[in-house]
Amino acid sequence: MCAIVDANVAHQVFGTNRPNAGIEFFAWLSSGNGSLVLGGKLRHELNKISSFTIWQKEATASGRVILKDDSEVDALTEELKKEGVCKSDDEHVVALAKLSGARLLYSNDDKLQKDFKNKELIDDPRGLIYSTLVNDSFTSTHQNLLRKNICKK
Amino acid sequence: MESITVKDFRCFHAEQTARLAPLTLLVGENSTGKTSFMAMIRALTDLAFPGFVPDFKDDPYDLGSIEEIIHKPISGNRSNTFEGGFYFIPQDKNGKPIKSKQYRFNSVFGKSEKGTAPVPVCRRISDCNSNTWVEYRLQKKGNYICHFNTPECEWKINFQYRHRGGIVLPFYFPIVIAMENGSEKKSDLVMIRGSAPPSEKDWNKIEDICLSLGYMDVRPYAGGPVRSRPRRYYEPSHDIPDPEGYHIPMVFNNLYYRDDEAWSDIKIAIEKFGKKSGLFDEIAINSPEKVESGTFQIQIRKFWSRGRKGPRHNLIDVGYGVSQALPVITELFLRDEGSVFLLQQPEVHLHPSAQAALGSQFCDMAASGRQLIVETHSDHLLDRIRMDIRDSETELQPEDVSILYFERGDQDVSIHPLRIDKNGNILNAPSSYRQFFMDETRRSLGL
Repeated sequence: MCAIVDANVAHQVFGTNRPNAGIEFFAWLSSGNGSLVLGGKLRHELNKISSFTIWQKEATASGRVILKDDSEVDALTEELKKEGVCKSDDEHVVALAKLSGARLLYSNDDKLQKDFKNKELIDDPRGLIYSTLVNDSFTSTHQNLLRKNICKK
Repeated sequence: MESITVKDFRCFHAEQTARLAPLTLLVGENSTGKTSFMAMIRALTDLAFPGFVPDFKDDPYDLGSIEEIIHKPISGNRSNTFEGGFYFIPQDKNGKPIKSKQYRFNSVFGKSEKGTAPVPVCRRISDCNSNTWVEYRLQKKGNYICHFNTPECEWKINFQYRHRGGIVLPFYFPIVIAMENGSEKKSDLVMIRGSAPPSEKDWNKIEDICLSLGYMDVRPYAGGPVRSRPRRYYEPSHDIPDPEGYHIPMVFNNLYYRDDEAWSDIKIAIEKFGKKSGLFDEIAINSPEKVESGTFQIQIRKFWSRGRKGPRHNLIDVGYGVSQALPVITELFLRDEGSVFLLQQPEVHLHPSAQAALGSQFCDMAASGRQLIVETHSDHLLDRIRMDIRDSETELQPEDVSILYFERGDQDVSIHPLRIDKNGNILNAPSSYRQFFMDETRRSLGL
Protein backbone atom coordinates (compact mmCIF):
# COMPACT_ATOMS: atom_id res chain seq x y z
CA MET A 1 0.00 0.00 0.00
CA CYS A 2 1.33 3.45 -0.78
CA ALA A 3 1.18 6.46 1.48
CA ILE A 4 2.16 10.11 1.58
CA VAL A 5 3.83 11.84 4.50
CA ASP A 6 3.16 15.55 4.74
CA ALA A 7 6.22 17.69 5.37
CA ASN A 8 4.79 19.09 8.61
CA VAL A 9 4.82 15.66 10.27
CA ALA A 10 7.91 14.20 8.60
CA HIS A 11 9.89 14.70 11.84
CA GLN A 12 7.39 12.35 13.55
CA VAL A 13 8.40 9.58 11.15
CA PHE A 14 12.03 10.31 10.36
CA GLY A 15 13.10 12.46 13.30
CA THR A 16 14.69 11.41 16.57
CA ASN A 17 12.02 12.29 19.12
CA ARG A 18 9.07 10.47 17.62
CA PRO A 19 5.63 9.59 18.96
CA ASN A 20 4.63 5.93 18.91
CA ALA A 21 2.32 6.49 15.96
CA GLY A 22 5.30 7.86 14.01
CA ILE A 23 7.62 5.05 15.08
CA GLU A 24 5.13 2.42 13.94
CA PHE A 25 4.48 4.23 10.68
CA PHE A 26 8.22 4.24 9.98
CA ALA A 27 8.44 0.55 10.86
CA TRP A 28 5.56 -0.14 8.51
CA LEU A 29 7.30 1.68 5.67
CA SER A 30 10.67 0.08 6.35
CA SER A 31 9.25 -3.43 6.56
CA GLY A 32 8.02 -3.30 2.99
CA ASN A 33 4.38 -3.68 3.97
CA GLY A 34 3.81 -0.15 2.82
CA SER A 35 5.55 2.18 0.44
CA LEU A 36 6.05 5.92 0.39
CA VAL A 37 5.21 8.03 -2.62
CA LEU A 38 7.34 11.04 -3.45
CA GLY A 39 7.55 13.66 -6.15
CA GLY A 40 7.46 17.37 -6.89
CA LYS A 41 7.58 19.94 -4.12
CA LEU A 42 7.05 17.36 -1.36
CA ARG A 43 10.19 15.49 -2.38
CA HIS A 44 12.21 18.69 -2.00
CA GLU A 45 10.57 19.48 1.33
CA LEU A 46 11.26 16.04 2.79
CA ASN A 47 14.83 16.00 1.52
CA LYS A 48 15.61 18.87 3.87
CA ILE A 49 15.58 16.26 6.64
CA SER A 50 18.99 14.57 6.46
CA SER A 51 17.88 11.27 7.99
CA PHE A 52 15.09 11.09 5.45
CA THR A 53 17.51 11.63 2.57
CA ILE A 54 19.68 8.74 3.73
CA TRP A 55 16.69 6.49 4.35
CA GLN A 56 15.10 7.39 1.03
CA LYS A 57 18.13 6.31 -1.01
CA GLU A 58 18.03 2.85 0.49
CA ALA A 59 14.25 2.65 0.47
CA THR A 60 14.10 3.53 -3.23
CA ALA A 61 16.56 0.76 -4.09
CA SER A 62 14.50 -1.60 -1.96
CA GLY A 63 11.17 -0.75 -3.58
CA ARG A 64 9.80 0.98 -0.47
CA VAL A 65 9.72 4.42 -2.09
CA ILE A 66 8.01 5.16 -5.38
CA LEU A 67 9.23 8.31 -7.09
CA LYS A 68 6.86 10.10 -9.40
CA ASP A 69 8.15 12.36 -12.12
CA ASP A 70 8.63 15.82 -10.57
CA SER A 71 7.54 17.60 -13.74
CA GLU A 72 4.27 15.66 -13.90
CA VAL A 73 3.52 16.41 -10.24
CA ASP A 74 4.40 20.07 -10.69
CA ALA A 75 2.22 20.37 -13.79
CA LEU A 76 -0.82 18.90 -12.04
CA THR A 77 -0.13 21.08 -9.00
CA GLU A 78 -0.29 24.16 -11.19
CA GLU A 79 -3.52 22.94 -12.76
CA LEU A 80 -5.11 22.43 -9.36
CA LYS A 81 -3.98 25.87 -8.29
CA LYS A 82 -5.53 27.45 -11.37
CA GLU A 83 -8.77 25.59 -10.79
CA GLY A 84 -8.77 26.71 -7.16
CA VAL A 85 -10.40 23.48 -6.04
CA CYS A 86 -8.31 22.90 -2.91
CA LYS A 87 -9.04 24.46 0.47
CA SER A 88 -5.43 24.03 1.58
CA ASP A 89 -2.37 25.42 -0.11
CA ASP A 90 -1.04 21.88 -0.49
CA GLU A 91 -2.10 21.22 -4.06
CA HIS A 92 1.23 19.43 -4.56
CA VAL A 93 0.14 16.74 -2.07
CA VAL A 94 -3.24 16.31 -3.74
CA ALA A 95 -1.53 16.18 -7.14
CA LEU A 96 0.83 13.49 -5.91
CA ALA A 97 -2.05 11.39 -4.61
CA LYS A 98 -3.94 11.73 -7.87
CA LEU A 99 -0.92 10.74 -9.96
CA SER A 100 0.36 7.92 -7.77
CA GLY A 101 -2.86 6.37 -6.52
CA ALA A 102 -1.73 6.79 -2.89
CA ARG A 103 -4.77 6.99 -0.63
CA LEU A 104 -3.26 7.19 2.84
CA LEU A 105 -1.98 10.53 4.10
CA TYR A 106 -0.03 11.13 7.30
CA SER A 107 -0.82 14.74 8.11
CA ASN A 108 -2.00 16.96 10.94
CA ASP A 109 -3.01 19.81 8.65
CA ASP A 110 -6.76 20.25 8.98
CA LYS A 111 -7.30 21.87 5.58
CA LEU A 112 -5.20 19.31 3.76
CA GLN A 113 -7.05 16.50 5.54
CA LYS A 114 -10.33 17.93 4.21
CA ASP A 115 -8.94 18.13 0.70
CA PHE A 116 -7.66 14.58 0.91
CA LYS A 117 -11.07 13.32 1.98
CA ASN A 118 -12.89 15.39 -0.63
CA LYS A 119 -14.47 12.92 -3.05
CA GLU A 120 -14.38 15.53 -5.80
CA LEU A 121 -10.59 15.61 -5.55
CA ILE A 122 -9.58 12.11 -4.52
CA ASP A 123 -11.74 9.08 -5.12
CA ASP A 124 -11.91 5.41 -6.07
CA PRO A 125 -11.07 4.67 -3.32
CA ARG A 126 -11.38 7.73 -1.10
CA GLY A 127 -8.46 9.05 0.87
CA LEU A 128 -7.80 8.11 4.49
CA ILE A 129 -5.98 10.15 7.11
CA TYR A 130 -3.32 9.01 9.57
CA SER A 131 -3.10 11.74 12.16
CA THR A 132 -1.58 12.36 15.59
CA LEU A 133 -3.57 15.50 16.36
CA VAL A 134 -5.89 13.76 18.80
CA ASN A 135 -3.66 10.94 19.99
CA ASP A 136 -0.04 10.33 19.10
CA SER A 137 0.00 6.82 20.58
CA PHE A 138 -0.24 3.91 18.18
CA THR A 139 -3.98 3.41 18.53
CA SER A 140 -6.21 0.73 17.05
CA THR A 141 -7.32 3.32 14.48
CA HIS A 142 -3.72 3.74 13.37
CA GLN A 143 -3.25 -0.01 13.27
CA ASN A 144 -6.33 -0.47 11.12
CA LEU A 145 -5.18 2.17 8.68
CA LEU A 146 -1.88 0.39 8.16
CA ARG A 147 -3.66 -2.91 7.59
CA LYS A 148 -5.84 -1.59 4.78
CA ASN A 149 -4.85 -1.87 1.18
CA ILE A 150 -6.30 1.22 -0.37
CA CYS A 151 -4.09 2.22 -3.26
CA LYS A 152 -5.65 3.07 -6.55
CA LYS A 153 -4.16 0.82 -9.22
CA MET B 1 13.58 -17.32 -24.71
CA GLU B 2 10.81 -15.29 -23.15
CA SER B 3 10.76 -17.05 -19.81
CA ILE B 4 12.15 -20.08 -18.05
CA THR B 5 10.33 -22.66 -15.98
CA VAL B 6 11.86 -25.01 -13.42
CA LYS B 7 10.39 -27.76 -11.29
CA ASP B 8 11.95 -30.11 -8.72
CA PHE B 9 15.28 -28.69 -9.80
CA ARG B 10 17.92 -28.14 -7.09
CA CYS B 11 16.39 -25.71 -4.57
CA PHE B 12 13.21 -25.14 -6.61
CA HIS B 13 10.27 -27.40 -5.83
CA ALA B 14 6.92 -26.34 -7.30
CA GLU B 15 6.94 -25.22 -10.93
CA GLN B 16 8.01 -21.60 -11.27
CA THR B 17 8.22 -19.40 -14.32
CA ALA B 18 10.61 -16.45 -14.50
CA ARG B 19 10.50 -13.82 -17.22
CA LEU B 20 13.65 -13.17 -19.20
CA ALA B 21 14.24 -9.81 -20.84
CA PRO B 22 17.06 -8.39 -22.94
CA LEU B 23 18.68 -7.57 -19.59
CA THR B 24 17.82 -9.90 -16.72
CA LEU B 25 19.37 -9.46 -13.29
CA LEU B 26 19.41 -12.31 -10.80
CA VAL B 27 19.61 -11.04 -7.25
CA GLY B 28 19.32 -12.54 -3.79
CA GLU B 29 21.40 -14.00 -1.02
CA ASN B 30 24.06 -16.67 -1.50
CA SER B 31 22.87 -20.23 -2.09
CA THR B 32 19.46 -19.31 -3.44
CA GLY B 33 19.77 -21.07 -6.79
CA LYS B 34 20.88 -18.25 -9.08
CA THR B 35 23.73 -20.26 -10.55
CA SER B 36 21.53 -23.35 -10.89
CA PHE B 37 19.03 -21.22 -12.74
CA MET B 38 21.74 -20.15 -15.18
CA ALA B 39 22.85 -23.75 -15.63
CA MET B 40 19.29 -24.66 -16.56
CA ILE B 41 19.15 -21.89 -19.15
CA ARG B 42 22.28 -23.21 -20.81
CA ALA B 43 21.11 -26.82 -20.58
CA LEU B 44 17.82 -25.95 -22.24
CA THR B 45 19.60 -24.00 -24.95
CA ASP B 46 21.85 -26.99 -25.65
CA LEU B 47 18.92 -29.37 -25.71
CA ALA B 48 16.43 -27.34 -27.69
CA PHE B 49 18.52 -25.78 -30.44
CA PRO B 50 21.50 -27.87 -31.51
CA GLY B 51 19.89 -30.88 -29.82
CA PHE B 52 22.62 -32.00 -27.43
CA VAL B 53 22.04 -34.03 -24.31
CA PRO B 54 22.84 -31.29 -21.77
CA ASP B 55 25.85 -31.64 -19.55
CA PHE B 56 25.04 -30.31 -16.10
CA LYS B 57 28.68 -30.62 -15.09
CA ASP B 58 30.14 -28.50 -17.86
CA ASP B 59 32.11 -25.43 -16.70
CA PRO B 60 31.40 -23.06 -15.08
CA TYR B 61 28.49 -25.01 -13.61
CA ASP B 62 28.92 -28.29 -11.84
CA LEU B 63 25.58 -29.38 -10.48
CA GLY B 64 26.69 -32.95 -9.84
CA SER B 65 24.79 -36.12 -10.64
CA ILE B 66 21.04 -36.45 -10.90
CA GLU B 67 20.92 -37.24 -7.19
CA GLU B 68 22.28 -33.77 -6.46
CA ILE B 69 20.07 -32.08 -9.03
CA ILE B 70 16.61 -33.38 -8.15
CA HIS B 71 15.03 -31.26 -5.42
CA LYS B 72 15.20 -32.79 -1.95
CA PRO B 73 12.08 -31.90 0.00
CA ILE B 74 12.33 -31.84 3.79
CA SER B 75 9.15 -33.87 3.97
CA GLY B 76 7.08 -35.80 1.47
CA ASN B 77 8.08 -37.93 -1.46
CA ARG B 78 11.02 -37.04 -3.61
CA SER B 79 10.50 -36.90 -7.35
CA ASN B 80 12.50 -39.17 -9.67
CA THR B 81 12.75 -36.43 -12.25
CA PHE B 82 13.21 -32.69 -12.61
CA GLU B 83 11.94 -30.33 -15.27
CA GLY B 84 12.97 -27.27 -17.16
CA GLY B 85 11.37 -25.40 -20.01
CA PHE B 86 10.96 -22.10 -21.71
CA TYR B 87 8.39 -20.06 -23.56
CA PHE B 88 9.34 -18.59 -26.90
CA ILE B 89 7.84 -16.69 -29.81
CA PRO B 90 8.24 -18.64 -33.05
CA GLN B 91 9.64 -17.00 -36.18
CA ASP B 92 8.26 -16.96 -39.67
CA LYS B 93 10.23 -18.13 -42.73
CA ASN B 94 11.96 -14.73 -42.92
CA GLY B 95 13.10 -14.94 -39.32
CA LYS B 96 10.59 -12.41 -38.03
CA PRO B 97 8.84 -13.20 -34.75
CA ILE B 98 5.17 -14.12 -35.01
CA LYS B 99 4.00 -12.13 -32.01
CA SER B 100 0.51 -13.62 -32.01
CA LYS B 101 1.98 -17.03 -31.19
CA GLN B 102 3.69 -18.38 -28.12
CA TYR B 103 5.17 -21.85 -27.88
CA ARG B 104 6.53 -23.73 -24.93
CA PHE B 105 9.40 -26.18 -24.89
CA ASN B 106 9.62 -28.42 -21.86
CA SER B 107 11.85 -31.27 -20.85
CA VAL B 108 11.65 -33.79 -18.06
CA PHE B 109 15.05 -35.09 -17.03
CA GLY B 110 15.53 -38.49 -15.47
CA LYS B 111 18.21 -41.01 -14.77
CA SER B 112 19.98 -42.58 -17.71
CA GLU B 113 20.12 -46.36 -18.02
CA LYS B 114 23.87 -46.11 -17.66
CA GLY B 115 25.58 -43.65 -15.36
CA THR B 116 24.29 -40.96 -13.09
CA ALA B 117 23.99 -38.02 -15.48
CA PRO B 118 20.49 -36.70 -16.15
CA VAL B 119 19.05 -37.29 -19.60
CA PRO B 120 15.91 -35.90 -21.21
CA VAL B 121 13.23 -38.57 -20.81
CA CYS B 122 10.33 -36.54 -22.08
CA ARG B 123 10.42 -33.50 -24.35
CA ARG B 124 7.46 -31.55 -25.56
CA ILE B 125 6.80 -28.50 -27.71
CA SER B 126 3.35 -27.03 -27.40
CA ASP B 127 1.41 -24.13 -28.82
CA CYS B 128 0.19 -22.12 -25.83
CA ASN B 129 -2.82 -20.81 -27.74
CA SER B 130 -4.18 -24.12 -29.04
CA ASN B 131 -4.17 -27.69 -27.92
CA THR B 132 -1.38 -28.62 -30.31
CA TRP B 133 1.72 -30.37 -29.11
CA VAL B 134 4.36 -32.92 -29.95
CA GLU B 135 5.94 -35.05 -27.28
CA TYR B 136 8.76 -37.58 -27.17
CA ARG B 137 8.76 -39.96 -24.27
CA LEU B 138 11.70 -42.27 -23.72
CA GLN B 139 10.79 -45.84 -22.80
CA LYS B 140 13.34 -48.51 -21.93
CA LYS B 141 16.33 -49.38 -24.11
CA GLY B 142 16.06 -46.47 -26.50
CA ASN B 143 12.42 -47.00 -27.40
CA TYR B 144 10.51 -43.79 -27.88
CA ILE B 145 6.85 -43.00 -28.12
CA CYS B 146 6.12 -39.85 -30.05
CA HIS B 147 2.70 -38.30 -29.49
CA PHE B 148 1.16 -35.76 -31.87
CA ASN B 149 -1.85 -33.82 -30.77
CA THR B 150 -4.00 -31.17 -32.42
CA PRO B 151 -7.49 -30.03 -31.43
CA GLU B 152 -8.82 -32.45 -34.06
CA CYS B 153 -6.61 -35.50 -33.73
CA GLU B 154 -4.20 -37.43 -31.57
CA TRP B 155 -1.96 -40.29 -32.55
CA LYS B 156 1.32 -41.86 -31.67
CA ILE B 157 4.22 -43.65 -33.24
CA ASN B 158 6.82 -45.95 -31.68
CA PHE B 159 10.42 -46.02 -32.78
CA GLN B 160 13.89 -46.71 -31.52
CA TYR B 161 16.77 -44.26 -31.25
CA ARG B 162 19.94 -44.07 -29.18
CA HIS B 163 21.58 -40.79 -28.19
CA ARG B 164 24.39 -41.18 -30.65
CA GLY B 165 27.25 -38.82 -29.86
CA GLY B 166 25.09 -37.06 -27.32
CA ILE B 167 22.63 -35.86 -29.96
CA VAL B 168 18.93 -36.16 -29.19
CA LEU B 169 16.43 -37.03 -31.88
CA PRO B 170 15.24 -33.87 -33.67
CA PHE B 171 11.55 -33.11 -33.28
CA TYR B 172 10.85 -33.31 -37.00
CA PHE B 173 12.33 -36.81 -37.36
CA PRO B 174 9.26 -38.91 -36.63
CA ILE B 175 7.25 -36.60 -38.85
CA VAL B 176 9.55 -37.48 -41.71
CA ILE B 177 9.21 -41.18 -40.93
CA ALA B 178 5.46 -40.92 -40.65
CA MET B 179 5.11 -38.87 -43.83
CA GLU B 180 7.37 -41.09 -45.91
CA ASN B 181 6.26 -44.42 -44.59
CA GLY B 182 2.85 -43.66 -43.27
CA SER B 183 1.06 -45.31 -46.15
CA GLU B 184 3.29 -48.37 -46.12
CA LYS B 185 3.69 -48.75 -42.38
CA LYS B 186 0.28 -47.87 -41.16
CA SER B 187 0.79 -50.22 -38.28
CA ASP B 188 3.43 -47.81 -36.92
CA LEU B 189 0.90 -45.02 -36.58
CA VAL B 190 -1.59 -45.51 -33.82
CA MET B 191 -4.58 -43.27 -33.98
CA ILE B 192 -5.94 -42.27 -30.60
CA ARG B 193 -8.47 -39.67 -31.69
CA GLY B 194 -9.59 -38.02 -34.95
CA SER B 195 -9.17 -38.99 -38.59
CA ALA B 196 -6.74 -41.53 -40.03
CA PRO B 197 -4.54 -40.72 -41.81
CA PRO B 198 -4.14 -37.23 -40.36
CA SER B 199 -5.43 -34.42 -42.53
CA GLU B 200 -3.10 -31.99 -44.29
CA LYS B 201 -4.25 -29.29 -41.87
CA ASP B 202 -3.16 -31.44 -38.93
CA TRP B 203 0.16 -32.16 -40.57
CA ASN B 204 0.78 -28.49 -41.14
CA LYS B 205 0.14 -27.68 -37.51
CA ILE B 206 2.42 -30.45 -36.33
CA GLU B 207 5.12 -29.59 -38.84
CA ASP B 208 4.97 -25.93 -37.87
CA ILE B 209 5.50 -26.73 -34.23
CA CYS B 210 8.22 -29.31 -34.87
CA LEU B 211 10.26 -26.94 -37.00
CA SER B 212 9.81 -23.92 -34.73
CA LEU B 213 13.05 -24.44 -32.81
CA GLY B 214 15.13 -24.99 -35.92
CA TYR B 215 18.81 -25.79 -35.62
CA MET B 216 20.83 -23.01 -34.10
CA ASP B 217 24.24 -23.02 -32.57
CA VAL B 218 23.35 -20.40 -30.02
CA ARG B 219 25.22 -21.63 -26.97
CA PRO B 220 25.37 -18.73 -24.53
CA TYR B 221 28.70 -17.47 -23.30
CA ALA B 222 28.81 -18.53 -19.67
CA GLY B 223 31.21 -16.41 -17.67
CA GLY B 224 32.21 -17.78 -14.29
CA PRO B 225 32.51 -15.87 -11.03
CA VAL B 226 36.23 -16.60 -10.85
CA ARG B 227 38.43 -15.31 -13.62
CA SER B 228 41.95 -16.16 -14.62
CA ARG B 229 44.93 -14.45 -12.99
CA PRO B 230 46.89 -12.10 -15.17
CA ARG B 231 50.36 -13.20 -16.27
CA ARG B 232 53.52 -11.25 -16.98
CA TYR B 233 54.00 -13.03 -20.32
CA TYR B 234 51.57 -15.03 -22.40
CA GLU B 235 52.45 -17.78 -24.81
CA PRO B 236 50.21 -18.04 -27.84
CA SER B 237 47.80 -20.96 -27.69
CA HIS B 238 44.16 -21.63 -28.56
CA ASP B 239 41.47 -19.00 -28.13
CA ILE B 240 38.54 -21.29 -27.38
CA PRO B 241 36.08 -19.44 -25.11
CA ASP B 242 36.58 -20.28 -21.48
CA PRO B 243 34.39 -19.30 -18.51
CA GLU B 244 37.39 -17.93 -16.64
CA GLY B 245 38.64 -15.91 -19.58
CA TYR B 246 41.96 -17.72 -20.18
CA HIS B 247 41.35 -17.27 -23.88
CA ILE B 248 41.11 -13.48 -23.89
CA PRO B 249 44.86 -12.69 -24.20
CA MET B 250 45.02 -15.17 -27.09
CA VAL B 251 42.06 -13.50 -28.75
CA PHE B 252 43.86 -10.16 -28.50
CA ASN B 253 47.07 -11.58 -29.91
CA ASN B 254 45.31 -13.27 -32.82
CA LEU B 255 43.39 -10.14 -33.72
CA TYR B 256 46.50 -7.97 -33.34
CA TYR B 257 48.46 -10.03 -35.85
CA ARG B 258 45.74 -11.26 -38.20
CA ASP B 259 43.01 -8.66 -38.42
CA ASP B 260 43.98 -5.00 -38.04
CA GLU B 261 40.44 -3.75 -38.45
CA ALA B 262 38.92 -6.13 -35.92
CA TRP B 263 41.72 -5.40 -33.44
CA SER B 264 41.21 -1.68 -33.89
CA ASP B 265 37.43 -2.02 -33.35
CA ILE B 266 37.74 -4.11 -30.22
CA LYS B 267 40.53 -1.90 -28.86
CA ILE B 268 38.42 1.22 -29.32
CA ALA B 269 35.39 -0.40 -27.68
CA ILE B 270 37.38 -1.72 -24.73
CA GLU B 271 39.19 1.57 -24.23
CA LYS B 272 35.88 3.42 -24.29
CA PHE B 273 34.71 1.25 -21.43
CA GLY B 274 38.08 1.64 -19.72
CA LYS B 275 37.70 5.43 -19.78
CA LYS B 276 34.09 5.40 -18.56
CA SER B 277 34.90 3.04 -15.73
CA GLY B 278 38.11 4.83 -14.79
CA LEU B 279 40.04 1.57 -15.11
CA PHE B 280 42.38 2.54 -17.95
CA ASP B 281 42.64 4.66 -21.08
CA GLU B 282 44.65 2.49 -23.39
CA ILE B 283 45.27 -1.20 -23.97
CA ALA B 284 48.06 -2.61 -26.12
CA ILE B 285 49.86 -5.81 -27.07
CA ASN B 286 53.59 -5.77 -26.56
CA SER B 287 55.47 -8.53 -28.30
CA PRO B 288 59.23 -8.32 -27.75
CA GLU B 289 59.85 -10.83 -30.53
CA LYS B 290 57.48 -9.04 -32.93
CA VAL B 291 56.10 -12.33 -34.23
CA GLU B 292 52.71 -13.92 -33.74
CA SER B 293 54.20 -17.08 -32.33
CA GLY B 294 56.33 -15.23 -29.76
CA THR B 295 55.48 -14.47 -26.16
CA PHE B 296 53.58 -11.27 -25.58
CA GLN B 297 52.39 -8.95 -22.85
CA ILE B 298 49.15 -7.07 -22.36
CA GLN B 299 49.85 -3.51 -21.40
CA ILE B 300 47.61 -0.92 -19.89
CA ARG B 301 47.97 2.82 -19.77
CA LYS B 302 46.11 5.26 -17.53
CA PHE B 303 46.38 8.87 -18.60
CA TRP B 304 47.59 11.47 -16.15
CA SER B 305 45.74 14.68 -15.49
CA ARG B 306 45.06 17.00 -18.44
CA GLY B 307 45.25 14.03 -20.81
CA ARG B 308 48.98 13.53 -20.53
CA LYS B 309 49.91 9.97 -21.35
CA GLY B 310 51.44 8.09 -18.47
CA PRO B 311 53.68 5.06 -18.80
CA ARG B 312 52.38 1.71 -19.96
CA HIS B 313 52.15 -1.01 -17.34
CA ASN B 314 51.93 -4.73 -17.63
CA LEU B 315 48.44 -6.06 -16.91
CA ILE B 316 49.80 -7.90 -13.89
CA ASP B 317 51.15 -4.69 -12.40
CA VAL B 318 47.88 -2.76 -12.37
CA GLY B 319 44.86 -3.25 -10.14
CA TYR B 320 43.27 -6.68 -10.20
CA GLY B 321 39.96 -5.21 -11.35
CA VAL B 322 41.33 -4.56 -14.85
CA SER B 323 42.24 -8.17 -15.58
CA GLN B 324 38.99 -9.37 -14.01
CA ALA B 325 36.79 -7.04 -16.06
CA LEU B 326 38.53 -7.68 -19.39
CA PRO B 327 37.07 -11.16 -20.11
CA VAL B 328 33.52 -9.95 -19.49
CA ILE B 329 33.84 -6.78 -21.51
CA THR B 330 35.75 -8.38 -24.37
CA GLU B 331 33.23 -11.19 -24.78
CA LEU B 332 30.40 -8.66 -24.92
CA PHE B 333 32.11 -6.82 -27.76
CA LEU B 334 33.29 -9.91 -29.62
CA ARG B 335 29.89 -11.52 -29.97
CA ASP B 336 27.23 -10.38 -32.38
CA GLU B 337 23.65 -9.31 -32.03
CA GLY B 338 21.49 -12.20 -30.89
CA SER B 339 24.16 -13.62 -28.60
CA VAL B 340 23.21 -14.67 -25.11
CA PHE B 341 25.45 -14.10 -22.08
CA LEU B 342 25.20 -15.77 -18.71
CA LEU B 343 27.41 -13.76 -16.38
CA GLN B 344 28.14 -14.53 -12.76
CA GLN B 345 29.14 -11.59 -10.59
CA PRO B 346 30.85 -9.61 -13.33
CA GLU B 347 31.49 -6.86 -10.79
CA VAL B 348 33.96 -8.74 -8.60
CA HIS B 349 37.13 -6.78 -7.78
CA LEU B 350 35.75 -3.62 -9.37
CA HIS B 351 35.55 -0.26 -7.64
CA PRO B 352 31.94 1.01 -7.28
CA SER B 353 32.44 3.52 -10.10
CA ALA B 354 33.54 0.74 -12.44
CA GLN B 355 30.62 -1.42 -11.27
CA ALA B 356 28.27 1.41 -12.19
CA ALA B 357 29.97 1.79 -15.59
CA LEU B 358 29.47 -1.91 -16.13
CA GLY B 359 25.75 -1.37 -15.51
CA SER B 360 25.64 1.25 -18.27
CA GLN B 361 27.60 -1.04 -20.57
CA PHE B 362 25.11 -3.85 -19.98
CA CYS B 363 22.26 -1.49 -20.87
CA ASP B 364 23.99 -0.57 -24.13
CA MET B 365 24.70 -4.18 -25.05
CA ALA B 366 21.17 -5.32 -24.25
CA ALA B 367 19.77 -2.44 -26.28
CA SER B 368 21.85 -3.56 -29.25
CA GLY B 369 20.21 -6.97 -29.51
CA ARG B 370 22.24 -9.08 -27.10
CA GLN B 371 20.57 -10.89 -24.25
CA LEU B 372 22.31 -10.64 -20.89
CA ILE B 373 21.43 -12.68 -17.85
CA VAL B 374 23.52 -11.39 -14.98
CA GLU B 375 23.85 -12.72 -11.47
CA THR B 376 24.92 -9.81 -9.29
CA HIS B 377 25.34 -8.61 -5.72
CA SER B 378 26.19 -5.09 -6.84
CA ASP B 379 23.93 -2.23 -5.78
CA HIS B 380 26.04 0.13 -7.87
CA LEU B 381 25.41 -1.85 -11.03
CA LEU B 382 21.68 -2.15 -10.41
CA ASP B 383 21.30 1.49 -9.36
CA ARG B 384 23.06 2.63 -12.53
CA ILE B 385 20.69 0.58 -14.67
CA ARG B 386 17.69 2.10 -12.86
CA MET B 387 19.05 5.60 -13.33
CA ASP B 388 20.02 5.11 -16.97
CA ILE B 389 16.46 4.04 -17.72
CA ARG B 390 14.95 6.88 -15.69
CA ASP B 391 17.17 9.47 -17.36
CA SER B 392 16.86 7.93 -20.84
CA GLU B 393 20.63 7.45 -20.95
CA THR B 394 19.99 4.13 -22.68
CA GLU B 395 17.70 2.98 -25.44
CA LEU B 396 16.60 0.20 -23.14
CA GLN B 397 12.98 0.54 -22.02
CA PRO B 398 11.72 -0.38 -18.56
CA GLU B 399 10.10 -3.57 -19.90
CA ASP B 400 13.47 -4.61 -21.32
CA VAL B 401 14.77 -5.23 -17.82
CA SER B 402 13.72 -8.11 -15.63
CA ILE B 403 14.89 -8.39 -12.04
CA LEU B 404 14.49 -11.84 -10.56
CA TYR B 405 14.75 -11.92 -6.80
CA PHE B 406 15.57 -15.34 -5.41
CA GLU B 407 14.22 -15.77 -1.90
CA ARG B 408 15.02 -18.72 0.27
CA GLY B 409 12.08 -20.22 2.17
CA ASP B 410 12.11 -23.05 4.69
CA GLN B 411 11.98 -25.80 2.10
CA ASP B 412 12.68 -24.24 -1.24
CA VAL B 413 13.40 -21.04 -3.12
CA SER B 414 10.87 -18.68 -4.66
CA ILE B 415 11.65 -16.49 -7.65
CA HIS B 416 9.97 -13.08 -7.43
CA PRO B 417 9.75 -11.05 -10.63
CA LEU B 418 10.46 -7.37 -9.98
CA ARG B 419 10.10 -4.58 -12.50
CA ILE B 420 11.63 -1.19 -13.12
CA ASP B 421 9.33 1.62 -14.21
CA LYS B 422 10.13 4.71 -16.26
CA ASN B 423 11.02 6.62 -13.10
CA GLY B 424 13.55 4.00 -12.08
CA ASN B 425 11.37 2.64 -9.29
CA ILE B 426 11.53 -0.99 -8.25
CA LEU B 427 8.04 -2.45 -8.45
CA ASN B 428 6.52 -5.67 -7.06
CA ALA B 429 9.21 -6.09 -4.40
CA PRO B 430 8.09 -8.46 -1.64
CA SER B 431 8.61 -7.28 1.93
CA SER B 432 11.70 -9.48 2.32
CA TYR B 433 13.50 -7.79 -0.57
CA ARG B 434 16.60 -6.03 0.78
CA GLN B 435 15.23 -6.11 4.33
CA PHE B 436 18.79 -6.52 5.57
CA PHE B 437 19.78 -3.21 3.98
CA MET B 438 16.71 -1.46 5.36
CA ASP B 439 17.54 -2.73 8.85
CA GLU B 440 21.14 -1.58 8.54
CA THR B 441 20.05 1.86 7.38
CA ARG B 442 17.55 2.18 10.20
CA ARG B 443 20.25 1.18 12.66
CA SER B 444 22.80 3.60 11.26
CA LEU B 445 20.26 6.42 11.52
CA GLY B 446 19.45 5.46 15.09
CA LEU B 447 15.75 5.21 14.26
